[in-house]
Amino acid sequence: MSSAAASAAADARLSPERVLTVRDLRAYYRTNFFGMSREVRAVDGVSLHVDRDEIYGLAGESSCGKTTLIKTIVRAIRPPLDVVGGSVAFHFAGRERDIYAMSREELQSIRWRHLSYILQGSMNVLNPVRRVRQSFVDFSHRHIGKPMPEFLRLIEDHLDRVRLPPTVLDAYPHELSGGMRQRVTIALASVCRPDFIVADEPTTALDVVVQRDVLAMLREVQREIRSSMILVTHDIGVHANVTDRLGIMYAGRLVEEGPTGDVIRNPRHPYTSHLVTSLPRIGDVTPKRGLEGAPPNLAAPPEGCRFHPRCPLAIGTCRAEAPPMVDVAPGHRVACWVTAAPTAATVQ
Amino acid sequence: MLTTVRDLFRYNREFRIGALLTAFIVAFAALSFASPYPPQDTFVVPPDVPPSAAYWFGTTSRGQDVFWQLTFAIRNTMLFGLCVAILSRMISIAIGMWSGYKGGFVDRVLMSINDTFIVIPLFPLLVLFYFVMRDKMSWPLLALAMACLGWSYDARLIRSVAMSLKSREFTQQSVFSGMRTREIVLQEHLPYVLPIVFYTTMNNMNWSIGLEVTLSVLGFTNIDTPTIGVMIYWANQHTAMVAGIWWWIFFPVLFVVVLFIGLFLLAISMNEYIDPRSRLARMGGMRE
Repeated sequence: MSSAAASAAADARLSPERVLTVRDLRAYYRTNFFGMSREVRAVDGVSLHVDRDEIYGLAGESSCGKTTLIKTIVRAIRPPLDVVGGSVAFHFAGRERDIYAMSREELQSIRWRHLSYILQGSMNVLNPVRRVRQSFVDFSHRHIGKPMPEFLRLIEDHLDRVRLPPTVLDAYPHELSGGMRQRVTIALASVCRPDFIVADEPTTALDVVVQRDVLAMLREVQREIRSSMILVTHDIGVHANVTDRLGIMYAGRLVEEGPTGDVIRNPRHPYTSHLVTSLPRIGDVTPKRGLEGAPPNLAAPPEGCRFHPRCPLAIGTCRAEAPPMVDVAPGHRVACWVTAAPTAATVQ
Repeated sequence: MLTTVRDLFRYNREFRIGALLTAFIVAFAALSFASPYPPQDTFVVPPDVPPSAAYWFGTTSRGQDVFWQLTFAIRNTMLFGLCVAILSRMISIAIGMWSGYKGGFVDRVLMSINDTFIVIPLFPLLVLFYFVMRDKMSWPLLALAMACLGWSYDARLIRSVAMSLKSREFTQQSVFSGMRTREIVLQEHLPYVLPIVFYTTMNNMNWSIGLEVTLSVLGFTNIDTPTIGVMIYWANQHTAMVAGIWWWIFFPVLFVVVLFIGLFLLAISMNEYIDPRSRLARMGGMRE
């Protein structure tokens, strides 16, 4: 507990203005069919925070709970997903509010204006039988609270910012290329100049050239409207280019978190090391080695550290007890018995 | 709107033919307002006269002019089909979309009602309905009864589309942006469902006209209101086929077939207009 308090103090020194604080969040998928109940612990005890004007990256392989985590953060959950513990507090307009304590009206008032969400598969968030203009009106007009002509002018200005001609407003989504659709989606999410944008794999379906372009634009928009952002992608290369801080998830838990450069240059968790060494580098001819096995079934996760069945460094403690997040450098936390606490390893 | 119709007329052959055929039938039906004889009157002209310059479509054994009689019949039949189609579309859109979007308990309840309607044998039920109503039977009442029976297949069809739309990203985005269920269903999903609705409308009109003709031919409707079926019923009563009065049956059948074809062609061309992707195909954008 003392280490957590120390880390909080260190964080407070580094970042005066906090926008999002997630404390010990647990979200489970609970199903009950024919008397068989099942509980999938997709997010299990995640704590993190995001500061103003910061891009926080979330990485991890598929099915490690990234999307569930951010769905829970923006409260876009529906059964069987349920939040069973912890809190998600946003600091908008100088007020801290728990998103799960809000009424429906309050939630409506913060969405889009303060908090927007770029969904996974964001190329398909535009209705195929509605023109882009109508999608803008449907989704964001209610949140801006301006008369229609002014609102349409505002959209055109904003599209100009993401380098799209105003003619896209009259197009149907299928008439746009993948990159254009992605830009429209980003424009849609940022049109109300929100304080916080959550982006779930916003560039997954694009080739690397367009991806780079879209990401640069995303970053530019974020800089300009000074919002904070959580960016989810499994592509470490994207994180290296775009994010300020990086959190690595494994099996529903955060295993490492720190400034992106530190985490990539100096990974402390064995899982992070594997992710980072899988990145190709120019001139590197050493054969790449895959990690054996697959992420655990979250309905029955392994005891102790959830990574231990695949971990080359696993020791006895790993099998028995889950490691806490420990500071290893300023702002750099890791949950590992072996690499974060060398003394514990020698004792074993 | 007008330019759309003009463009459709110019570039879409199905629409052109369908519109012409339907317009012809509508114009013909409109002639009923200029009829020299009231539809119920009999023996106003010499009976059993074959088609001639004086009586274009001939006359019936009941002394009615087939031409003027047919204007009333086709008008009533068309209005009947339209009424049934509109009423039953309202029910099937409401039930299908609500059930598909809500899912769960609402879906189970609505679909069990729906499936009940699917398995009910329609024809015996309508005959029974006629025997219960007897003299009170009129075509608005029959239209209402058939609308209440004819929505179930299409409600299931619409439900399946609504279910797939519900899981699309744009629905999640709508929910996240705070749209209410009614707004999502009407603004986001309805445009997607409309081509199917248009298509089923024409199908449903054809179905209801067909069923009405069947019931009328057998005399299970109000035989004083002239419809295509009632005309054939009277022709059968007077053994027109045996007596060689073929024009009494031929012209009603011809006109109802023309109406069927016109409506069908309109339906498929409407479909092309409403769905932007098939509009693209028509422009040649997707053709290889």
